[in-house]
Amino acid sequence: MRLSNFGQDIAHVDLASGRVEMRPAPEDWTRKYIGARGLGVRYVLEAGAEVEPLGPDNLLCFMNGPLTGSEASMSGRWACVTKSPLTGTVTDSHQGGWSGARLRWAGFDGLVFEGHSETPVYAFIEDGRIELRDASDAWGKGIHETVAFYQERYGEKNLAVNAIGQAGERLNRFAVWVNEDDRAFGRGGTGAVGGAKKLKAIVIRAALKKSEVDDRDAWKAVRRDALDVIRDEVNITSPKKGGLSVYGTNVLMNVTNRIGALGTRNSQTTSFGDRAEAISGERVQETILVGDPTCHACPVACKKEVEVTEGPWKGLRMESVEYEPAWSFGSNCENDDVNSIAKLIDQSNDLGMDPIELGNVLSMYMEATERGWLPSGAGGLAWGDTAAMVAMADAIGLREGEGDLLAEGTTLAATKLGHPEIAMAVKGQAVPAYDPRGLKGMGLGYATSNRGACHLRAYVAAAELGVAPGEGEPLDPLEWKGKGELVKIFQDLHAFSDSLDFCKFSAFAEDAGHYAAQYSTAMGVEFTADDVMTAGERIYNLERLYNNRAGFGAGSDTLPARFTEEPSTQPGSEGHVSELSSMLAEYYAARGWEDGVVPASKLRELEIV
Amino acid sequence: MPEVRVRFYATFRPIVGGKHADVAVTEGASAGDLLDAIVTRWPELHEHLIRPDGGLSKRANLFVDGRAVRFLPEGLKTPLRESQEIDCFPAVAGG
Repeated sequence: MRLSNFGQDIAHVDLASGRVEMRPAPEDWTRKYIGARGLGVRYVLEAGAEVEPLGPDNLLCFMNGPLTGSEASMSGRWACVTKSPLTGTVTDSHQGGWSGARLRWAGFDGLVFEGHSETPVYAFIEDGRIELRDASDAWGKGIHETVAFYQERYGEKNLAVNAIGQAGERLNRFAVWVNEDDRAFGRGGTGAVGGAKKLKAIVIRAALKKSEVDDRDAWKAVRRDALDVIRDEVNITSPKKGGLSVYGTNVLMNVTNRIGALGTRNSQTTSFGDRAEAISGERVQETILVGDPTCHACPVACKKEVEVTEGPWKGLRMESVEYEPAWSFGSNCENDDVNSIAKLIDQSNDLGMDPIELGNVLSMYMEATERGWLPSGAGGLAWGDTAAMVAMADAIGLREGEGDLLAEGTTLAATKLGHPEIAMAVKGQAVPAYDPRGLKGMGLGYATSNRGACHLRAYVAAAELGVAPGEGEPLDPLEWKGKGELVKIFQDLHAFSDSLDFCKFSAFAEDAGHYAAQYSTAMGVEFTADDVMTAGERIYNLERLYNNRAGFGAGSDTLPARFTEEPSTQPGSEGHVSELSSMLAEYYAARGWEDGVVPASKLRELEIV
Repeated sequence: MPEVRVRFYATFRPIVGGKHADVAVTEGASAGDLLDAIVTRWPELHEHLIRPDGGLSKRANLFVDGRAVRFLPEGLKTPLRESQEIDCFPAVAGG
């Protein structure tokens, strides 16, 4: 597995004919767009921004980065890139676990699925071969059963199984792909694209392969440097010491709650008060945590396996109670029962749905119920009614009853109810767990994300919560000035790390210099920290070009009016709204964009055209 | 105000031995005085809370009514008052 050969082994799979062709990615593309997210977006752009997301012309790309599956720390990720049926934008989503690594070890850098199959199929991949095989006997199964089905057929050893569930089969617009470790390509509805293509699963069998590089000593040294800073970051990434390692992502619940940045009751308020403790990472660690599984080459082990020990879901063992779904099913639905949250996450992983979108669609429907905005005959949903939430999640995954409307996603469902203003979403994708009134930079990040509301495009919450990059100082979460430039920097840095493809959490310890050193040594090319930022900026502009062509022009970067017009009433952020228009002006100036549109001069400057 | 109730979170809890503690301070104490009292009582927190050159570490947060003291106009000199909510966190991130 020679790392510098990245891009040579891209499989193009025509689902209509069953034909598989190996075609290397153009050298110009891998040089400019690196891999994973950037390279996937370049392929999807080639298919045209006007394609129908669920039509046969949309591409479904599974892309490794040049360092996926290597010995570099936190390199166990790969990207799914397509045109989103939820937003109509280009979307990329990233998955942890071992699947991307196994794809690399099986001899592939990426998979590009084209067309539609007439009947259900799965792709079986092993030792440089890829075959489409009949999946009729798996169609209709949930993801957990599908994984077990293929594990029984092929054995568990060295096997990665990615599958869609019933939600993907039924074209739920926020359907996901999930693997045997319950890690998901979680956002943007990539599972529905799989369902439309009748692609049920991707099964990969491959044992670990060591990387080959020109300078082995240098490769070892740059990896050691990166690992050292991960270990030295004692409060966050340090194994068994840092908060992320000990408590997982849900270590965030209490802090966002205390600063008035935890959306509650469909973001009608910004704090869950003393009830947040009951759904926090600290509480999970005290009560139901049973294991700390990890992804390929990751020393942090942020995944937290739990076992429910009481109540209606006693005996449920699952991973993992992450911060995002603990919020979306928790405070946002006025629910402080952590066991029900574990159940709802497990349902999401089995039926195959994005738990952020699912939690938002439930909270939106709760608000619609409370306000009497339901269609006649609809039963609705009460705040914090966990049994009803679980039943409704099934209905949404299966598109049954009221669930059929809610399977359209928060924005479309609220619009059909006649009240789009209660959809907490941007460009059709629901917001994550950071209220923009209490964390101003995150609001700008949501509005300008190229895949719809997203916390991970520009994770400026790090700087706003005290994890400033490098020698930088923490930034005031309530100050809007300066956030335009900051969001651009974070977006560009993360566009690069998503293209390597490194876990986003590496950025809590590593900086652009660490990324550059590892990329340059692995690929045998000169590459600096400045090159990291330029490549990231190029990728971000490429995505924006796609969206501009797809109809997202001036005025598309918005936030729900709730965040810009209804002041927070909670301690920490009391009296604050998001000053979005001021931040946008700063941001567009930093980007060199004209009201969200990339000018031709910028495209030329970045060598995109 | 002989004692201030401080809530602790994440990796600070095992050090403190609980979710919160009442920390003794003098009348008219500031946030900085409270910080000193905390690290005096739990020396293990010193490396997390205090910079090598003194002052609050950038890798920690002390909140007064939900606002990080570093962003309050008087910073660590902010006087503490009765019935304020005090929270002490290590820097946390995830997502």
